[in-house]
Amino acid sequence: MAPLLDVRNLVTRFYTEDGVVYAVNGISYTLDEGESMAIVGESGSGKSVGVMSIIGLIPSPPGKIEAGEVWYTGRDLLKLNQEELRQLRGNEIAMIFQDPMTSLNPVLTVGLQMTESLELHLNMSNAQAKERAVEMLQLVGIPNAADRLEDYPHQFSGGQRQRLMIAMALSCNPSILIADEPTTALDVTIQAQIIELVQKLQKELGMAIIWITHDLGVVAGMVQKLAVMYAGFIVEYGAVDNLYKHTSHPYTMGLLNSIPKVDAKERTRLASIEGLPPDLLMEPKSCPFAPRCTFAVEQCWVENPPLIQVAPAHSAACWRWEAVRSQTTEVGVAA
Amino acid sequence: MTTYIIRRLLIMPITLMGVTFLIFAMMQILGPVERSALYVRDVPKTENQINAIIQRYGLADPVHLQYWYWLVGRRDPQTDEVVGGILRGDLGFSRTGREPVIEMLQRRFPATLELALWSMIPIIVGGIWMGIKAALNHNKPIDQISRIFATLGWSIPTFVLGLLLLLVFYARLGWFAPGRLSTQFALEVTRPGFTQYTKMMTVDALLNLRIDIFLDALNHMVMPIITLAVIQWALLLRVTRSSMLEEMRQDYVRTARSKGLRERTVVNRHIRRNALIPVVTIAGATLAGLMNGVVVTETIFNYPGLGQMAAEAAVTLDVITMLGFALFNGILFIGAYLIVDILYVVIDPRIRLS
Repeated sequence: MAPLLDVRNLVTRFYTEDGVVYAVNGISYTLDEGESMAIVGESGSGKSVGVMSIIGLIPSPPGKIEAGEVWYTGRDLLKLNQEELRQLRGNEIAMIFQDPMTSLNPVLTVGLQMTESLELHLNMSNAQAKERAVEMLQLVGIPNAADRLEDYPHQFSGGQRQRLMIAMALSCNPSILIADEPTTALDVTIQAQIIELVQKLQKELGMAIIWITHDLGVVAGMVQKLAVMYAGFIVEYGAVDNLYKHTSHPYTMGLLNSIPKVDAKERTRLASIEGLPPDLLMEPKSCPFAPRCTFAVEQCWVENPPLIQVAPAHSAACWRWEAVRSQTTEVGVAA
Repeated sequence: MTTYIIRRLLIMPITLMGVTFLIFAMMQILGPVERSALYVRDVPKTENQINAIIQRYGLADPVHLQYWYWLVGRRDPQTDEVVGGILRGDLGFSRTGREPVIEMLQRRFPATLELALWSMIPIIVGGIWMGIKAALNHNKPIDQISRIFATLGWSIPTFVLGLLLLLVFYARLGWFAPGRLSTQFALEVTRPGFTQYTKMMTVDALLNLRIDIFLDALNHMVMPIITLAVIQWALLLRVTRSSMLEEMRQDYVRTARSKGLRERTVVNRHIRRNALIPVVTIAGATLAGLMNGVVVTETIFNYPGLGQMAAEAAVTLDVITMLGFALFNGILFIGAYLIVDILYVVIDPRIRLS
């Protein structure tokens, strides 16, 4: 069966006054129907740009998609015009964002913001759209949903606003939900509630989800597939168990080691990855992680490693993946 | 929202009091003899006449009494009639106009109001419209051109622009004329066949179904409108443009796009509504700018409004008329800011509901 979404060799760059920003440098991944995957990386790793590119949300100029194909239901999304992409957005591919405080329009009622996409994509009448909006609000657990359509975003709490965003995104029954760090701006207890809610809704509605996050800990138990991004490259990609148990890229290893462990027996200093994040204004010719890598050899400074398969459903972009893999497999990176 | 407006209305009398304090304080710089000019109608022949006025209006009494008399009037013990009092409409007697200041204000205000209202059209429609266009075409030719115009409009002095317009459109091309009406209509509008409902010439002309007079009146206002509007237009353009640019970067715009809304909806419904909030605040200040602008503009174009009166009073040191103008302006501003504050709550639910 063909995957629901098939991203091949996507390249996105920004042409700014300071120079060319190499944001996304040829990433490929697939997503099956109803599947959950996570794209993990630090800020500036290209994880958001990578997914925004596929639905035409990159501000252009300065952004430009230079190459790639994005296959979705038999169509290459990168070949669609703005109007065709627009009809897809919010309808078949929906998004929720990081900061629910600023992601809702402060001067429009929640009802209007919820119904406008229903009226647009599903051709509902205003009354039908309102009915559907109330249904969605109930589904995401907003109390007294029917009375709250006339309220404005500032009358809801932060967690409730993220619920509103989720209700809004899922109202047209999308087949893919892109969740761009939806819990980063929320406090920890609310984070768990929101994640649980999205997982529950996924079971009920059956959409596929791409989680974008910088926090490996958050996604650990909830996705099947993981793509780790660094400097616009996917450096390690595969089934989540493989990545955790047989980590084959030093950056992933670093990320895993920097997660605080609740059950640690001794008090140890939290490990961090030495060095500075990469400069995206330089065209990457060698391995972008080499300057921070303890495994780096001469070859790493000369040639950028391609993403190669290291095991079934597991690939990594590292010249020394075998060394990394043997170390992590022996010692075992706690997950 | 109702409590907000009620509270706002309750503050208004206090602000009004403040205005009267200020104006009254300015009069206290003068001595009793000079203050008597407030109520002098003819050039006084003898010192006794001046003393009589000082007595009658209590101009040498303690300050708080003077303020009270000035505000509500004073009962003359000899004739038992109440004299003076701005609340009774006695703002003094204008030396320049040879008539009570209040009558002068009443007669000239409609002309200035007419000018200001017509100016608001290019200012608000033009300024906001161009500001939005410029922001949507950020750094493209339309944006660059509007920025040049805004900078020019903002920096050109009113009197220079006015004289330039006169030179080109009146002296050279003869398209537009100064004044208020052409001579053939000036008499006609005072005759019984023409009713002056509002004393605003364009409005009255339409109400009397006289398109010819309407066009003539409008023709006379073209140059003053341009002169008056340019600065405020430039200001509003710049505020609208930067406010739009600011809002276009907000997260909720990305949300709106991610919902697949049409670009038109994103701009008109989502961005513009937010961007206009600071613009409304500035639009209130526009009225202040206009009332300053009319002084020079009406003088240049010989337009018989409040500004011309103020300018004449200023050059002839007619303090009483000036103070009347200042008091009137103060009241006007308070009214304008009240409207702005109410508009502000109407468009911003965060204020309305908190």
